[in-house]
Amino acid sequence: MKKISKLLLALSFVLSITTSAFAVTVVSWGGAYTESQKLGYGDPTAAKLGIPVNWVDYTGGLSEIKAQKEAGKITWDIIDVYAKDTIVGCDEGIFHEFDFDKDFAPAPDGTPASQDFFTGMPSKCAVGNILYSWNYAYNDATIGAKKPNSLKDFFDTKNFPGKRAIYKGAMSNLEIAITADGVNPGKGSDLTYRKLEADGGIDRAMNKLKALCTDPNGGCVFWNAGAQPPELLANGEVVMATGWNGRFFNAQMEGTPLVQVWDGQILDYEYFALVKDGPGYADGSAMKVLREMTSTEGLAGSAKYIAYAPWRKSSIAIIDAGEPWFKDGKTSMVQHMPTAPANTKRYILMNPDFWADNQDEIGEKWEAMKAGL
Amino acid sequence: MSTEKILSSDGIPLEISLKKAERKNKLKALMLVGPLFLFLIITYIFPIGDMLFRSVDDRMITQKLPNTFAALEKWDGKELPDEATYEAFYKDFYPLAINKEAGKLYQRLNYEKSGFSSGLKKTNRTIKKFEKANYKEQFMATHKIWKDVDYWIALKNTAPNWSYAKYLKGLDLKFDQDRNIIQQDEDRRIHKILWLRTIKVAFWVTVFCFLLAYPISHLLATLPMKYSNLLMICVLLPFWTSLLVRTSSWMVLLQQQGPINDLIVWLGWAADDNRPELMYNVVGTFVAMTQILLPFMVLPLYSVMKTISPSLMRAGKSLGGTPFTAFRQIYFPLTIPGIGAGCLLVFILAIGYYITPALVGGASGSLISNTIAYHMKSSLDWSFAAALGSMLLVGVLTIYWIYNKLVGIDNIKLG
Repeated sequence: MKKISKLLLALSFVLSITTSAFAVTVVSWGGAYTESQKLGYGDPTAAKLGIPVNWVDYTGGLSEIKAQKEAGKITWDIIDVYAKDTIVGCDEGIFHEFDFDKDFAPAPDGTPASQDFFTGMPSKCAVGNILYSWNYAYNDATIGAKKPNSLKDFFDTKNFPGKRAIYKGAMSNLEIAITADGVNPGKGSDLTYRKLEADGGIDRAMNKLKALCTDPNGGCVFWNAGAQPPELLANGEVVMATGWNGRFFNAQMEGTPLVQVWDGQILDYEYFALVKDGPGYADGSAMKVLREMTSTEGLAGSAKYIAYAPWRKSSIAIIDAGEPWFKDGKTSMVQHMPTAPANTKRYILMNPDFWADNQDEIGEKWEAMKAGL
Repeated sequence: MSTEKILSSDGIPLEISLKKAERKNKLKALMLVGPLFLFLIITYIFPIGDMLFRSVDDRMITQKLPNTFAALEKWDGKELPDEATYEAFYKDFYPLAINKEAGKLYQRLNYEKSGFSSGLKKTNRTIKKFEKANYKEQFMATHKIWKDVDYWIALKNTAPNWSYAKYLKGLDLKFDQDRNIIQQDEDRRIHKILWLRTIKVAFWVTVFCFLLAYPISHLLATLPMKYSNLLMICVLLPFWTSLLVRTSSWMVLLQQQGPINDLIVWLGWAADDNRPELMYNVVGTFVAMTQILLPFMVLPLYSVMKTISPSLMRAGKSLGGTPFTAFRQIYFPLTIPGIGAGCLLVFILAIGYYITPALVGGASGSLISNTIAYHMKSSLDWSFAAALGSMLLVGVLTIYWIYNKLVGIDNIKLG
């Protein structure tokens, strides 16, 4: 008995060494999203390069990787992060700074990576992964005869009485409030954030939201998790809810009669960052995996499983040519992408610098406003 | 004879060999508690010490900008500093920018005043092209923060190596240019609201738990074994269920189209189009937290009540007291140790709660622990999170101290 247990112990030790020596650990948000990443480009990359890719879930933020770094034992290689986290992580020296065109594969037609991606990166430590949208949706079964179709309607409690679900933090809410208050973002112009940064801009947006939340015909429910908005709409708690388009899309696929309104949507991004001195950093295996996952085919792959848009223009072409692209074999994906022409008539482009600069101060004002509701 | 010492068989005086044996035994006993002692040091004393240390440690920035702080010492904080100060800052910042070591500075100063981060980043990009004269002019042309006295005041206030500024921030206070303590801007005073709200929620949850748990525990303690065991399982069952599952089930039950509201409408207590809001306000927080924390009140109360002999009540009644008098004068005072233990447990646990209130409490659901989590996870201002955590710890210790003064800590019984 003792011998067997010793043998097992030795075996598991050897196994843990071998797996940790070769596998690259990618950390992401879990749920349907990680599933789309794993099936879309994680598994194909692992098969192609012969490097196992492990997926680990986390709840966002940099505290865990910062703690790993301070303890001197880093176990993560690649992290899926928000733009502002790439900025903070870059400043703190947690992430590797890329040499973009050298580190990332060009498009199939030879266009360098920096040209193939939709916009520039928020920091040198970021490489784009998906674009998603903060838009809003309503339940077609309960809304009545009149249907909302613009961001202004979200704040219109006369024609659309009932509660609204909005994100618990200030992010996304200030943008839509100032847009509904008459600041036209056009196609992602910087006017939205210029107006917010101007004297009284924040107050202007907050007053608009305060008016909505204190309106006896309106009222606000604050959501924490991405799964909540479709849920709140499905069970009739609210008439309209802001949320992430992929979550609304999933609810639609499950048969909930939700309709998404794209006017004034906020285009936001997810990024990958490479952890400096992670287990696969020195031998370059983590970088190899990252390069493969963010290639044209790699990024197109994830759109088979979720309605988020790949960052590369060349990936869209692959999806377009391969329609119906969704895993069920009958849904065309391009129309559900935040970047589809019909969905981008008027949109806000998320500005991570604004939030990296102001999140603490605005966060305090926002909580003070919420406390007075 | 009297001076001669008693020797043991190997010739060593008995006294010494006895002491030796005793020392050995003491060491053995110490080794038994050793693991626990070590465990406490590693998991408790050390992290708390580290937290206290972090909340006041501000050496990083002082080490990075020595010349600047030396130059700022003479500055009065009324108008923009002179050329020499800008030059001193250039001397400090230029090597940091060249060696890519300025990153931590952006974050640290942005905690102090919003806007520092992008201002310093812009400066980082342009400073390499600066000419070696007219520093003030060049800085002011680079970014608007260098034209703003407020940013210099914020910078000057970070000079001391050890600082209690984070504690002030936790109380909505701050330093002005002369290091006087003043109130935070009015629209940013949020922490006091959060402290009061946290204490209020914890207090009421404790009261509700007590009101519900007292009769239940009494029933548990007096019922025959076979019924009380069943009841005990009902009390403990939620204990074995995950916190998040319980919170989400309350969300299902309490929502406006949920079963509880359906029942209220069916009973005719409310109109169908005017259903009461049971969630996304304090009601939701109280209901869910009370249910979740109830076992922590029931268990100490039960264990104390179990030891009270029923004959005491009978004796009280036979001496002429009404049942109420007997309860008030005999039973209740005997349960006080259990009440104390239960209330302390529930209050201390409630004061640190944040997931449940955040999910069911709506706008009123953010408590001080949410702010700590935000600074740990999102803004990475760990020193501020540590300061808030220390303040919470001091609050709990104060409550413990008050309890000790009022009731006496020996008078507490967990079982």
